[in-house]
Amino acid sequence: MAVLASSAQRKSDRHPSRGRSAGVRRAVLVVLVLGALALLTISFRSPTSGVLHDAQGYGASALRPFQVAAERVARPFRDAYGYVSSLTGAKSENVKLRGEVRRWRAQALANQAAAKENASLKRLLDYEQGPTYPKDYRAVNASVISFPSGPFDQQLTISAGSNRGLRVNTPIVSADGLVGRVTNVGRETATVALLTDPDSVVAARDLTSKVSGLIEHGQGNTLILDHVAKEQVVNKGDMIVTQGTRDRRYPDLYPYGIPIGQVISVGTSDIASYLTVQVAPFAKLTTLDAVAALVPTKPSKLP
Amino acid sequence: MTIADGLKAAALLFIAAIMQVSIFTQIHVFGGVPDVLLVTLVAIALLRGAIVGAGGGFFAGLLVDTATLGQLGLTSLVLTVAGYWIGRYGETTGRDRAHAPFLSVAVVTILYSVGLLLVHFVLGERAPAGAMLEGLGPAIVLNLILTAPVYALVRRLLRPLERSDLATEVQLLG
Repeated sequence: MAVLASSAQRKSDRHPSRGRSAGVRRAVLVVLVLGALALLTISFRSPTSGVLHDAQGYGASALRPFQVAAERVARPFRDAYGYVSSLTGAKSENVKLRGEVRRWRAQALANQAAAKENASLKRLLDYEQGPTYPKDYRAVNASVISFPSGPFDQQLTISAGSNRGLRVNTPIVSADGLVGRVTNVGRETATVALLTDPDSVVAARDLTSKVSGLIEHGQGNTLILDHVAKEQVVNKGDMIVTQGTRDRRYPDLYPYGIPIGQVISVGTSDIASYLTVQVAPFAKLTTLDAVAALVPTKPSKLP
Repeated sequence: MTIADGLKAAALLFIAAIMQVSIFTQIHVFGGVPDVLLVTLVAIALLRGAIVGAGGGFFAGLLVDTATLGQLGLTSLVLTVAGYWIGRYGETTGRDRAHAPFLSVAVVTILYSVGLLLVHFVLGERAPAGAMLEGLGPAIVLNLILTAPVYALVRRLLRPLERSDLATEVQLLG
Protein backbone atom coordinates (compact mmCIF):
# COMPACT_ATOMS: atom_id res chain seq x y z
CA MET A 1 0.00 0.00 0.00
CA ALA A 2 2.85 2.31 0.84
CA VAL A 3 4.41 1.54 -2.51
CA LEU A 4 1.19 2.24 -4.27
CA ALA A 5 0.72 5.44 -2.33
CA SER A 6 4.19 6.73 -3.08
CA SER A 7 3.85 5.69 -6.69
CA ALA A 8 0.58 7.50 -7.01
CA GLN A 9 2.04 10.57 -5.33
CA ARG A 10 5.10 10.56 -7.57
CA LYS A 11 3.09 10.16 -10.73
CA SER A 12 0.69 12.83 -9.69
CA ASP A 13 3.61 15.22 -9.27
CA ARG A 14 4.76 14.49 -12.82
CA HIS A 15 1.35 15.10 -14.27
CA PRO A 16 -0.35 17.74 -12.16
CA SER A 17 -3.40 18.12 -14.33
CA ARG A 18 -4.29 14.49 -13.94
CA GLY A 19 -2.71 13.94 -10.62
CA ARG A 20 -4.56 16.57 -8.71
CA SER A 21 -7.72 15.58 -7.10
CA ALA A 22 -11.02 16.01 -8.83
CA GLY A 23 -11.77 18.77 -6.37
CA VAL A 24 -8.78 20.84 -7.42
CA ARG A 25 -9.63 20.28 -11.05
CA ARG A 26 -13.18 21.40 -10.53
CA ALA A 27 -12.02 24.34 -8.45
CA VAL A 28 -9.79 25.49 -11.30
CA LEU A 29 -12.71 25.20 -13.70
CA VAL A 30 -15.03 27.10 -11.36
CA VAL A 31 -12.45 29.85 -10.81
CA LEU A 32 -11.87 30.24 -14.54
CA VAL A 33 -15.57 30.23 -15.34
CA LEU A 34 -16.26 32.74 -12.58
CA GLY A 35 -13.38 34.84 -13.88
CA ALA A 36 -14.81 34.76 -17.37
CA LEU A 37 -18.27 35.63 -16.05
CA ALA A 38 -16.82 38.50 -14.01
CA LEU A 39 -15.02 39.85 -17.07
CA LEU A 40 -18.16 39.42 -19.10
CA THR A 41 -20.29 41.23 -16.53
CA ILE A 42 -17.92 44.16 -16.17
CA SER A 43 -17.42 44.39 -19.90
CA PHE A 44 -21.15 44.19 -20.51
CA ARG A 45 -21.99 46.86 -17.94
CA SER A 46 -19.41 49.37 -19.17
CA PRO A 47 -18.56 48.48 -22.74
CA THR A 48 -17.01 51.83 -23.67
CA SER A 49 -15.32 53.02 -20.52
CA GLY A 50 -13.65 51.85 -17.34
CA VAL A 51 -10.41 50.25 -16.34
CA LEU A 52 -11.19 46.98 -18.08
CA HIS A 53 -12.00 48.77 -21.32
CA ASP A 54 -8.76 50.70 -21.12
CA ALA A 55 -6.83 47.53 -20.42
CA GLN A 56 -8.51 45.87 -23.35
CA GLY A 57 -7.52 48.81 -25.54
CA TYR A 58 -3.89 48.50 -24.45
CA GLY A 59 -4.03 44.78 -25.03
CA ALA A 60 -5.46 45.26 -28.50
CA SER A 61 -2.72 47.77 -29.29
CA ALA A 62 -0.11 45.32 -28.08
CA LEU A 63 -1.57 42.56 -30.22
CA ARG A 64 -1.91 44.78 -33.26
CA PRO A 65 1.70 44.30 -34.54
CA PHE A 66 1.27 40.55 -34.39
CA GLN A 67 -1.96 40.80 -36.30
CA VAL A 68 -0.36 43.03 -38.92
CA ALA A 69 2.53 40.61 -39.25
CA ALA A 70 0.16 37.69 -39.64
CA GLU A 71 -1.80 39.58 -42.24
CA ARG A 72 1.35 40.36 -44.20
CA VAL A 73 2.49 36.78 -44.09
CA ALA A 74 -0.90 35.56 -45.16
CA ARG A 75 -1.55 38.22 -47.79
CA PRO A 76 -0.06 36.35 -50.79
CA PHE A 77 -2.05 33.26 -49.88
CA ARG A 78 -5.16 35.31 -49.27
CA ASP A 79 -4.72 37.10 -52.58
CA ALA A 80 -4.33 33.79 -54.35
CA TYR A 81 -7.40 32.43 -52.60
CA GLY A 82 -9.30 35.61 -53.41
CA TYR A 83 -8.31 35.39 -57.05
CA VAL A 84 -9.47 31.80 -57.37
CA SER A 85 -12.57 32.51 -55.33
CA SER A 86 -13.45 35.57 -57.42
CA LEU A 87 -13.01 33.55 -60.61
CA THR A 88 -15.38 30.92 -59.29
CA GLY A 89 -17.68 33.62 -58.00
CA ALA A 90 -17.59 35.45 -61.33
CA LYS A 91 -18.56 32.30 -63.17
CA SER A 92 -21.45 31.52 -60.88
CA GLU A 93 -22.48 35.20 -60.84
CA ASN A 94 -22.39 35.23 -64.63
CA VAL A 95 -24.71 32.23 -64.75
CA LYS A 96 -26.98 33.85 -62.18
CA LEU A 97 -27.06 37.17 -64.04
CA ARG A 98 -27.79 35.45 -67.34
CA GLY A 99 -30.72 33.72 -65.69
CA GLU A 100 -31.92 37.05 -64.33
CA VAL A 101 -31.63 38.68 -67.76
CA ARG A 102 -33.70 35.86 -69.23
CA ARG A 103 -36.33 36.26 -66.54
CA TRP A 104 -36.48 40.05 -66.92
CA ARG A 105 -36.63 39.77 -70.70
CA ALA A 106 -39.55 37.36 -70.44
CA GLN A 107 -41.17 39.68 -67.90
CA ALA A 108 -40.68 42.69 -70.19
CA LEU A 109 -42.22 40.82 -73.09
CA ALA A 110 -45.12 39.74 -70.90
CA ASN A 111 -45.57 43.34 -69.76
CA GLN A 112 -45.53 44.60 -73.33
CA ALA A 113 -48.08 42.01 -74.33
CA ALA A 114 -50.21 42.86 -71.31
CA ALA A 115 -50.01 46.58 -72.10
CA LYS A 116 -51.04 45.93 -75.68
CA GLU A 117 -53.89 43.71 -74.58
CA ASN A 118 -54.90 46.30 -72.02
CA ALA A 119 -55.07 48.96 -74.71
CA SER A 120 -57.16 46.65 -76.90
CA LEU A 121 -59.51 45.86 -74.02
CA LYS A 122 -59.86 49.54 -73.20
CA ARG A 123 -60.77 50.36 -76.76
CA LEU A 124 -63.17 47.42 -76.76
CA LEU A 125 -64.75 48.74 -73.59
CA ASP A 126 -65.12 52.17 -75.20
CA TYR A 127 -66.86 50.54 -78.12
CA GLU A 128 -69.15 48.51 -75.86
CA GLN A 129 -70.11 51.66 -73.99
CA GLY A 130 -70.43 53.72 -77.18
CA PRO A 131 -73.57 54.65 -79.11
CA THR A 132 -72.92 52.23 -81.99
CA TYR A 133 -73.00 49.17 -79.75
CA PRO A 134 -76.05 47.07 -80.71
CA LYS A 135 -78.93 46.84 -78.29
CA ASP A 136 -80.15 43.51 -76.94
CA TYR A 137 -76.64 42.10 -77.00
CA ARG A 138 -74.20 41.68 -74.17
CA ALA A 139 -70.47 41.62 -74.77
CA VAL A 140 -68.40 38.62 -73.74
CA ASN A 141 -64.78 39.73 -73.85
CA ALA A 142 -62.17 37.20 -74.81
CA SER A 143 -58.51 37.01 -75.72
CA VAL A 144 -57.32 35.66 -79.01
CA ILE A 145 -55.36 32.54 -78.16
CA SER A 146 -54.42 31.38 -81.63
CA PHE A 147 -54.10 33.17 -84.92
CA PRO A 148 -54.48 32.04 -88.51
CA SER A 149 -51.58 29.73 -89.20
CA GLY A 150 -51.17 30.79 -92.81
CA PRO A 151 -52.68 32.54 -95.80
CA PHE A 152 -55.11 29.70 -96.38
CA ASP A 153 -56.38 29.64 -92.84
CA GLN A 154 -58.76 32.46 -91.99
CA GLN A 155 -59.80 31.32 -88.56
CA LEU A 156 -58.71 32.12 -85.05
CA THR A 157 -59.45 30.78 -81.59
CA ILE A 158 -60.73 32.84 -78.70
CA SER A 159 -60.76 32.17 -74.95
CA ALA A 160 -64.51 32.01 -74.48
CA GLY A 161 -66.89 29.21 -75.20
CA SER A 162 -70.29 27.80 -74.49
CA ASN A 163 -69.83 28.28 -70.75
CA ARG A 164 -70.04 32.02 -71.36
CA GLY A 165 -72.97 31.89 -73.72
CA LEU A 166 -71.27 31.62 -77.11
CA ARG A 167 -72.99 29.63 -79.81
CA VAL A 168 -72.28 28.85 -83.45
CA ASN A 169 -72.76 32.04 -85.53
CA THR A 170 -72.28 34.39 -82.58
CA PRO A 171 -70.89 37.64 -84.05
CA ILE A 172 -67.40 38.61 -83.01
CA VAL A 173 -66.27 42.23 -82.99
CA SER A 174 -63.24 44.23 -82.04
CA ALA A 175 -63.06 47.85 -81.02
CA ASP A 176 -62.60 48.74 -84.69
CA GLY A 177 -65.40 46.72 -86.19
CA LEU A 178 -66.72 43.35 -87.23
CA VAL A 179 -64.28 40.46 -87.06
CA GLY A 180 -66.34 37.43 -88.02
CA ARG A 181 -68.57 34.79 -86.49
CA VAL A 182 -68.21 31.69 -84.38
CA THR A 183 -68.04 28.52 -86.45
CA ASN A 184 -67.23 26.01 -83.77
CA VAL A 185 -67.67 26.25 -80.05
CA GLY A 186 -66.14 24.34 -77.17
CA ARG A 187 -66.73 24.74 -73.48
CA GLU A 188 -64.06 27.35 -72.92
CA THR A 189 -62.90 28.21 -76.42
CA ALA A 190 -64.45 28.97 -79.77
CA THR A 191 -63.28 29.09 -83.36
CA VAL A 192 -64.00 32.26 -85.27
CA ALA A 193 -64.18 32.51 -89.04
CA LEU A 194 -62.82 35.90 -90.08
CA LEU A 195 -64.51 38.18 -92.58
CA THR A 196 -61.77 37.22 -94.99
CA ASP A 197 -62.76 33.55 -94.79
CA PRO A 198 -63.93 32.27 -98.22
CA ASP A 199 -67.20 31.02 -96.71
CA SER A 200 -68.01 34.28 -94.96
CA VAL A 201 -70.93 36.33 -96.28
CA VAL A 202 -72.30 39.34 -94.43
CA ALA A 203 -75.29 41.42 -95.42
CA ALA A 204 -74.06 45.02 -95.45
CA ARG A 205 -75.01 48.51 -96.49
CA ASP A 206 -73.36 51.75 -97.44
CA LEU A 207 -74.11 54.28 -94.74
CA THR A 208 -73.97 57.21 -97.15
CA SER A 209 -75.79 55.91 -100.23
CA LYS A 210 -77.92 53.35 -98.35
CA VAL A 211 -76.95 50.77 -100.99
CA SER A 212 -77.09 47.16 -99.78
CA GLY A 213 -74.88 44.26 -100.76
CA LEU A 214 -73.00 41.24 -99.50
CA ILE A 215 -69.55 41.49 -97.98
CA GLU A 216 -67.36 38.64 -99.16
CA HIS A 217 -63.66 37.93 -99.12
CA GLY A 218 -61.49 39.71 -101.64
CA GLN A 219 -57.86 39.61 -102.57
CA GLY A 220 -55.37 39.60 -99.74
CA ASN A 221 -56.89 41.10 -96.62
CA THR A 222 -59.51 43.12 -98.45
CA LEU A 223 -63.25 42.55 -98.79
CA ILE A 224 -65.69 42.93 -101.67
CA LEU A 225 -69.12 44.50 -101.43
CA ASP A 226 -70.87 42.25 -103.91
CA HIS A 227 -74.30 42.25 -105.52
CA VAL A 228 -74.40 46.02 -105.95
CA ALA A 229 -76.16 46.88 -109.19
CA LYS A 230 -74.28 48.96 -111.74
CA GLU A 231 -76.74 51.79 -111.54
CA GLN A 232 -76.20 52.18 -107.79
CA VAL A 233 -73.83 54.87 -106.57
CA VAL A 234 -71.07 53.93 -104.23
CA ASN A 235 -68.19 56.30 -103.58
CA LYS A 236 -64.71 55.78 -102.40
CA GLY A 237 -64.49 56.46 -98.66
CA ASP A 238 -68.05 55.39 -97.86
CA MET A 239 -68.53 53.50 -94.60
CA ILE A 240 -69.93 49.99 -94.76
CA VAL A 241 -71.87 48.57 -91.81
CA THR A 242 -73.85 45.43 -91.15
CA GLN A 243 -77.32 45.40 -92.61
CA GLY A 244 -79.04 43.76 -89.68
CA THR A 245 -82.42 42.05 -89.70
CA ARG A 246 -84.98 43.45 -92.10
CA ASP A 247 -87.37 40.52 -92.10
CA ARG A 248 -88.42 39.11 -88.73
CA ARG A 249 -88.94 35.69 -90.27
CA TYR A 250 -85.32 35.54 -91.47
CA PRO A 251 -83.20 37.19 -88.83
CA ASP A 252 -79.70 38.22 -89.81
CA LEU A 253 -76.77 36.76 -87.92
CA TYR A 254 -75.47 40.24 -87.25
CA PRO A 255 -77.24 43.19 -85.63
CA TYR A 256 -77.49 46.41 -87.54
CA GLY A 257 -74.77 49.01 -87.58
CA ILE A 258 -71.57 47.15 -86.76
CA PRO A 259 -68.77 48.90 -88.72
CA ILE A 260 -67.23 46.61 -91.33
CA GLY A 261 -64.92 48.77 -93.39
CA GLN A 262 -64.40 51.60 -95.80
CA VAL A 263 -64.69 51.63 -99.58
CA ILE A 264 -61.25 51.95 -101.10
CA SER A 265 -62.13 51.52 -104.78
CA VAL A 266 -65.17 51.26 -107.02
CA GLY A 267 -64.97 49.76 -110.47
CA THR A 268 -67.10 48.29 -113.18
CA SER A 269 -66.86 46.67 -116.60
CA ASP A 270 -69.16 46.35 -119.58
CA ILE A 271 -69.85 42.67 -119.15
CA ALA A 272 -70.28 42.66 -115.36
CA SER A 273 -73.72 42.93 -113.82
CA TYR A 274 -72.51 44.41 -110.54
CA LEU A 275 -70.09 47.05 -109.38
CA THR A 276 -66.72 45.93 -108.08
CA VAL A 277 -66.55 47.61 -104.67
CA GLN A 278 -63.40 46.93 -102.75
CA VAL A 279 -63.60 47.44 -98.98
CA ALA A 280 -60.79 47.63 -96.42
CA PRO A 281 -61.95 46.14 -93.12
CA PHE A 282 -61.72 48.34 -90.03
CA ALA A 283 -60.74 45.46 -87.78
CA LYS A 284 -57.06 44.61 -87.94
CA LEU A 285 -57.69 40.97 -88.55
CA THR A 286 -54.05 39.87 -88.37
CA THR A 287 -53.13 41.59 -85.12
CA LEU A 288 -56.10 41.09 -82.87
CA ASP A 289 -55.49 40.79 -79.13
CA ALA A 290 -58.94 41.05 -77.61
CA VAL A 291 -62.37 40.63 -79.10
CA ALA A 292 -65.96 40.66 -77.90
CA ALA A 293 -68.61 38.14 -78.68
CA LEU A 294 -72.07 39.61 -79.09
CA VAL A 295 -74.30 37.27 -77.17
CA PRO A 296 -77.98 38.08 -77.60
CA THR A 297 -79.83 38.76 -74.39
CA LYS A 298 -82.87 37.16 -76.05
CA PRO A 299 -82.12 33.55 -77.09
CA SER A 300 -84.15 33.77 -80.27
CA LYS A 301 -81.82 36.29 -81.85
CA LEU A 302 -79.68 33.63 -83.49
CA PRO A 303 -80.99 30.88 -85.71
CA MET B 1 3.10 19.56 -17.04
CA THR B 2 6.41 21.38 -17.05
CA ILE B 3 6.98 25.11 -17.42
CA ALA B 4 8.37 24.49 -20.88
CA ASP B 5 5.19 22.67 -21.83
CA GLY B 6 3.13 25.53 -20.46
CA LEU B 7 5.11 28.05 -22.47
CA LYS B 8 4.82 25.97 -25.60
CA ALA B 9 1.07 25.62 -25.13
CA ALA B 10 0.73 29.35 -24.49
CA ALA B 11 2.80 30.16 -27.58
CA LEU B 12 0.75 27.78 -29.69
CA LEU B 13 -2.50 29.30 -28.49
CA PHE B 14 -1.16 32.82 -28.97
CA ILE B 15 -0.14 32.13 -32.56
CA ALA B 16 -3.39 30.31 -33.25
CA ALA B 17 -5.43 33.19 -31.80
CA ILE B 18 -3.57 35.77 -33.88
CA MET B 19 -3.94 33.65 -37.01
CA GLN B 20 -7.60 33.12 -36.26
CA VAL B 21 -8.48 36.81 -35.87
CA SER B 22 -6.19 37.99 -38.67
CA ILE B 23 -6.46 35.33 -41.33
CA PHE B 24 -8.96 32.56 -40.77
CA THR B 25 -11.94 34.76 -40.02
CA GLN B 26 -11.69 36.05 -43.58
CA ILE B 27 -11.97 32.60 -45.11
CA HIS B 28 -15.58 31.82 -45.84
CA VAL B 29 -16.28 28.54 -47.58
CA PHE B 30 -19.96 27.81 -48.18
CA GLY B 31 -20.83 29.97 -45.18
CA GLY B 32 -18.43 28.18 -42.84
CA VAL B 33 -15.34 29.67 -41.21
CA PRO B 34 -12.44 27.45 -40.11
CA ASP B 35 -11.39 27.85 -36.47
CA VAL B 36 -7.72 27.03 -36.07
CA LEU B 37 -7.78 28.28 -32.48
CA LEU B 38 -10.45 25.81 -31.49
CA VAL B 39 -8.59 22.96 -33.19
CA THR B 40 -5.35 23.93 -31.46
CA LEU B 41 -7.09 24.12 -28.10
CA VAL B 42 -8.63 20.70 -28.64
CA ALA B 43 -5.22 19.24 -29.47
CA ILE B 44 -3.59 20.78 -26.38
CA ALA B 45 -6.43 19.72 -24.10
CA LEU B 46 -6.34 16.17 -25.42
CA LEU B 47 -2.59 15.94 -24.84
CA ARG B 48 -2.36 17.78 -21.53
CA GLY B 49 -5.67 17.30 -19.77
CA ALA B 50 -8.57 19.22 -18.31
CA ILE B 51 -6.79 21.87 -16.27
CA VAL B 52 -4.49 22.88 -19.09
CA GLY B 53 -7.47 22.72 -21.44
CA ALA B 54 -9.55 25.01 -19.25
CA GLY B 55 -6.68 27.43 -18.62
CA GLY B 56 -5.74 27.42 -22.28
CA GLY B 57 -9.32 28.07 -23.27
CA PHE B 58 -9.54 31.00 -20.87
CA PHE B 59 -6.26 32.47 -22.12
CA ALA B 60 -7.12 31.97 -25.79
CA GLY B 61 -10.58 33.46 -25.34
CA LEU B 62 -9.11 36.46 -23.60
CA LEU B 63 -6.70 36.99 -26.49
CA VAL B 64 -9.47 36.80 -29.06
CA ASP B 65 -11.76 39.14 -27.15
CA THR B 66 -8.92 41.60 -26.63
CA ALA B 67 -7.72 41.52 -30.22
CA THR B 68 -11.21 42.00 -31.60
CA LEU B 69 -12.29 44.45 -28.88
CA GLY B 70 -15.26 42.21 -28.24
CA GLN B 71 -17.08 41.46 -25.00
CA LEU B 72 -14.28 40.45 -22.64
CA GLY B 73 -14.89 37.05 -21.13
CA LEU B 74 -17.43 35.90 -23.69
CA THR B 75 -15.12 33.71 -25.77
CA SER B 76 -13.15 32.83 -22.65
CA LEU B 77 -16.25 31.42 -20.99
CA VAL B 78 -17.09 29.11 -23.87
CA LEU B 79 -13.52 28.05 -24.61
CA THR B 80 -12.82 27.37 -20.93
CA VAL B 81 -15.70 24.91 -20.73
CA ALA B 82 -14.75 23.40 -24.11
CA GLY B 83 -11.10 22.99 -23.11
CA TYR B 84 -12.01 21.42 -19.78
CA TRP B 85 -14.46 19.00 -21.31
CA ILE B 86 -12.06 17.90 -24.05
CA GLY B 87 -9.30 17.60 -21.48
CA ARG B 88 -11.42 15.26 -19.39
CA TYR B 89 -12.24 13.27 -22.50
CA GLY B 90 -8.52 12.98 -23.29
CA GLU B 91 -7.77 11.87 -19.76
CA THR B 92 -10.44 9.20 -19.75
CA THR B 93 -12.22 7.57 -22.69
CA GLY B 94 -10.35 9.43 -25.43
CA ARG B 95 -6.99 8.27 -24.24
CA ASP B 96 -4.89 6.72 -27.05
CA ARG B 97 -7.79 6.71 -29.45
CA ALA B 98 -6.76 7.67 -32.95
CA HIS B 99 -10.14 9.13 -33.73
CA ALA B 100 -10.26 11.22 -30.55
CA PRO B 101 -8.96 14.49 -32.11
CA PHE B 102 -11.41 14.31 -35.00
CA LEU B 103 -14.36 13.35 -32.84
CA SER B 104 -13.46 16.07 -30.34
CA VAL B 105 -13.09 18.72 -33.01
CA ALA B 106 -16.42 17.80 -34.63
CA VAL B 107 -18.31 17.80 -31.33
CA VAL B 108 -16.60 20.89 -29.94
CA THR B 109 -17.25 22.84 -33.13
CA ILE B 110 -20.95 22.22 -32.64
CA LEU B 111 -20.92 22.90 -28.90
CA TYR B 112 -18.75 25.99 -29.31
CA SER B 113 -21.13 27.45 -31.91
CA VAL B 114 -24.17 26.64 -29.83
CA GLY B 115 -22.47 27.95 -26.70
CA LEU B 116 -21.57 31.27 -28.32
CA LEU B 117 -25.10 31.54 -29.65
CA LEU B 118 -26.53 30.91 -26.21
CA VAL B 119 -24.28 33.43 -24.50
CA HIS B 120 -25.12 36.07 -27.11
CA PHE B 121 -28.79 35.26 -26.68
CA VAL B 122 -28.60 35.51 -22.90
CA LEU B 123 -26.83 38.85 -23.19
CA GLY B 124 -29.65 40.09 -25.42
CA GLU B 125 -27.38 40.51 -28.41
CA ARG B 126 -28.03 39.50 -31.99
CA ALA B 127 -28.05 35.68 -32.14
CA PRO B 128 -28.86 34.49 -35.66
CA ALA B 129 -29.41 30.76 -35.17
CA GLY B 130 -30.25 30.26 -38.84
CA ALA B 131 -26.96 31.70 -40.04
CA MET B 132 -25.07 29.69 -37.43
CA LEU B 133 -26.75 26.45 -38.48
CA GLU B 134 -26.16 27.24 -42.13
CA GLY B 135 -22.41 27.59 -41.64
CA LEU B 136 -22.05 24.81 -39.09
CA GLY B 137 -21.66 21.93 -41.53
CA PRO B 138 -18.95 23.58 -43.63
CA ALA B 139 -17.22 24.78 -40.43
CA ILE B 140 -17.07 21.20 -39.12
CA VAL B 141 -15.60 19.97 -42.38
CA LEU B 142 -13.03 22.78 -42.46
CA ASN B 143 -12.03 22.18 -38.85
CA LEU B 144 -11.71 18.45 -39.50
CA ILE B 145 -9.40 19.25 -42.42
CA LEU B 146 -7.28 21.37 -40.09
CA THR B 147 -7.27 18.74 -37.35
CA ALA B 148 -4.67 16.36 -38.78
CA PRO B 149 -1.87 18.90 -39.41
CA VAL B 150 -2.59 20.94 -36.27
CA TYR B 151 -2.76 17.90 -34.02
CA ALA B 152 0.45 16.53 -35.55
CA LEU B 153 2.22 19.83 -34.88
CA VAL B 154 0.95 20.14 -31.33
CA ARG B 155 1.79 16.51 -30.64
CA ARG B 156 5.30 17.13 -31.91
CA LEU B 157 5.77 20.08 -29.58
CA LEU B 158 3.93 18.60 -26.62
CA ARG B 159 4.98 14.99 -26.48
CA PRO B 160 2.22 12.71 -25.23
CA LEU B 161 2.73 11.59 -21.67
CA GLU B 162 3.74 8.04 -21.10
CA ARG B 163 1.16 5.47 -20.17
CA SER B 164 2.51 5.27 -16.66
CA ASP B 165 1.86 8.97 -16.27
CA LEU B 166 -1.72 8.43 -17.14
CA ALA B 167 -2.33 5.90 -14.31
CA THR B 168 -3.39 8.34 -11.71
CA GLU B 169 -5.69 8.70 -8.79
CA VAL B 170 -5.01 5.30 -7.29
CA GLN B 171 -7.45 4.68 -4.52
CA LEU B 172 -5.97 2.81 -1.57
CA LEU B 173 -8.24 0.44 0.24
CA GLY B 174 -7.78 -0.95 3.70
